[in-house]
Amino acid sequence: MSTISLHDTHHDDHGHGHHHETFLTKYVFSQDHKMIAKQFLITGIIMAVIAMLLSILFRLQLAWPDKTFPLLETFLGKWAEGGRIRPDFFLALVTIHGTIMVFFVLTAGLSGTFSNLLIPLQVGARDMASPFMNMLSYWFFLVACIVMMSSFFVQTGPASGGWTIYPPLSAVPKAMPGSGLGMTLWLISMVIFVASSLIGSLNYVSTILNMRTKGMDLWKMPLTIWALFLTAILGILSFPVLVAGVVLLIFDRSFGTSFYLSDIVFGTEILPNEGGSPILWQHLFWFLGHPEVYIVIMPALGISSEIISVNSRKPIFGYHAMVYSLIGITVLSFIVWGHHMFVTGMNPLLGGVFMITTLIIAVPSAVKTFNYLATLWRGNIRFTPAMLFAIGLVSFFISGGLTGIFLGNASLDINLHDTYFVVAHFHLVMGSAAIFGMLAGVYHWFPKMFGRMMNPKLAYLHFWVTFICAYLVFFPLHFLGLDGVPRRYYAFTEFEFMNKWLTVNVFVTWSAIIAALAQVAFLFNFFYSIFRGKKATQNPWEANTLEWTTPVEHLHGNWPGEIPTVYRWPYDYSKPGADQDFILQTTPFSETMSSNLPHDFEGNEEAERIQREWEAANKPVQE
Amino acid sequence: MVGTLQQGNIPVNFKAKKFLVWLFVVSSTIMFGGWTSYYLVFMASKGKGHGLVLPEVFSYSTVVLLVSSVCLFLAARALKGGDTSKHRMLLWGTFILGIVFAVMQFQGWTSLYQTGAVLVNNNAAISMIYIVSGFHLLHIVAGLAFVLSSLIGSYKNVSQEVAEYRQDITSIFWHFIDILWIYLYVFLLLNS
Repeated sequence: MSTISLHDTHHDDHGHGHHHETFLTKYVFSQDHKMIAKQFLITGIIMAVIAMLLSILFRLQLAWPDKTFPLLETFLGKWAEGGRIRPDFFLALVTIHGTIMVFFVLTAGLSGTFSNLLIPLQVGARDMASPFMNMLSYWFFLVACIVMMSSFFVQTGPASGGWTIYPPLSAVPKAMPGSGLGMTLWLISMVIFVASSLIGSLNYVSTILNMRTKGMDLWKMPLTIWALFLTAILGILSFPVLVAGVVLLIFDRSFGTSFYLSDIVFGTEILPNEGGSPILWQHLFWFLGHPEVYIVIMPALGISSEIISVNSRKPIFGYHAMVYSLIGITVLSFIVWGHHMFVTGMNPLLGGVFMITTLIIAVPSAVKTFNYLATLWRGNIRFTPAMLFAIGLVSFFISGGLTGIFLGNASLDINLHDTYFVVAHFHLVMGSAAIFGMLAGVYHWFPKMFGRMMNPKLAYLHFWVTFICAYLVFFPLHFLGLDGVPRRYYAFTEFEFMNKWLTVNVFVTWSAIIAALAQVAFLFNFFYSIFRGKKATQNPWEANTLEWTTPVEHLHGNWPGEIPTVYRWPYDYSKPGADQDFILQTTPFSETMSSNLPHDFEGNEEAERIQREWEAANKPVQE
Repeated sequence: MVGTLQQGNIPVNFKAKKFLVWLFVVSSTIMFGGWTSYYLVFMASKGKGHGLVLPEVFSYSTVVLLVSSVCLFLAARALKGGDTSKHRMLLWGTFILGIVFAVMQFQGWTSLYQTGAVLVNNNAAISMIYIVSGFHLLHIVAGLAFVLSSLIGSYKNVSQEVAEYRQDITSIFWHFIDILWIYLYVFLLLNS
């Protein structure tokens, strides 16, 4: 705390004077972390809707490859000539769908929103380490979104080499239409995005390590903070490698170097590039790419830890185990990237090493899963919408995680690689699970963000339709994959053995359309409730964490008076002997004498003595 | 202890901001780590490195950068000792040495270019020399901006606390890019 008090005495030197908030400084160029969180969330939601619509477009093509939809031509023009999606546009659709979902929705939309909202509020800080950089982080993100979307307005269309943009398709501009300007825009957008993400992550880590309130030691932090902290560390350690790779790719594309290119022939023309290796791109990409999937899922895991504990009215089961498993996942995620590359001609011995490290990740993941279930076990469960989505996350994490054990095996992966089995796996374990974590967070912290409640009935409708349809969409895809159906193929009618899957594709597409319609219930609920929702109370879920001690009305600086001091961990729910079934982190032990336990005092003998004396004096009368 | 919120003032936490620079140093190191590991894997799979005798000017520029670091270290000491004019002079010294370093790097590239080791090359290891030294130079430009901000602070007579904060982040960053260059240079010397 010395830092805060130290600078407080000096703050006149560099204070900002009175805040004269104008519309521009309050809503647009805001440096308040809560407003920046909302900006991230709403931008993320818009991008999610766009990516979802893209997926519906390619699902139409997959279900009815021979049918024409004149409406598509009205909207998409030459990309759906005659009412059918063109093959190169199909590839652009899957590429941009993946890119937006992974980076713009589940990285920036998820981490950006909840890190910004929760880190200062839950650790007890007035704002981020650098509010200005925080603002910059959002604006870089928005520019990256705009640049990415602008690729839909260029002649040759958006990037279409897949979200992993493997060279040579990404490195040779004339390889296909989507390798042209669209690819360039993709790279520019991604460089800006990484800058945004890095600036954000630096801020999150620095804030958590330096700006916690009095009493908030690391082991008193909510699991959301632990998850967001480790996610930010993952970002700091892995995104720079993507930049390194992208820089080389840009040089290959635009300046003629040969980092990734060699022996490429177009018809009769031989490209001058020689000596590079496209496999090296895969190494650099997946060194980011694999930690990236944990950047996506870990905030969702942290959010659901918090929500499941609050709504089970029970302490989280195995708090320390939860933290250590997050740390385990963080460390392991850096040494498993090779499992994306089992079919690149990798040395089988090296493949074996990557296989073992990959399978070890099942251990911390299982620890988390069992801890969720144990927290739910015999809890006094409140099925709030947030709780349902958090339980949904656990469900997807299990059903998608199990297929990860299949894919992690090098020998099985050689068969399953690049099939729909992979698509099914990651859409459940990091797609649906992370989205559900994000939605759980939105439902849970909506009152904190907007001071109003969302409509629970619409939320239940949203949950059940989405939950069921997500399984109906992704579960059948496993069987396509086991049958060897490759991903990213344009028309199932072109191959004899894929014909029998057409009916399944029709079923999957209908499920996807219903799931998409269910999101209307969410969107309406979200935007309507911002203005017309029921007014929220200060602590609507009766939770323990610090953010619920701030007033409902927002102010820059969060707490009107002193920042509260923290005395206990965040999971004192249903503590035997307590008056209420929750005890705020700011409640000192002296106010809860009837429920204190010896280990609460962490070896403080004076406190233990006082407690013993109190207990002796207040012994219940024995009959 | 913990300050109350007055008139919407949010106290600046310099320690946390300084920590941001450290974290940036980590992420930047990893970016260069990405390139040098590309280089190592490339070398292992192709059985060749850049195969050049690096231009002599690179070793002179290394010395210049080292001296600039010493200069900045003395500047920080002068600031702590309250000797403003010495602080200013040493900051200018660092700044000028930084410019000299940049010029020498250009000379290095020119002599590489003249021997035929150009950027667009079928030996990616040679292209990599340009990439790492080029991106290092971008860091030097950023470092010069930090030095300038310290200098501006010195002329505008900001409070001692702000001056020391600016000096500290300048020092962290400048010493980092100094060590980074030594790493890159030695790496390229050893893996020819």
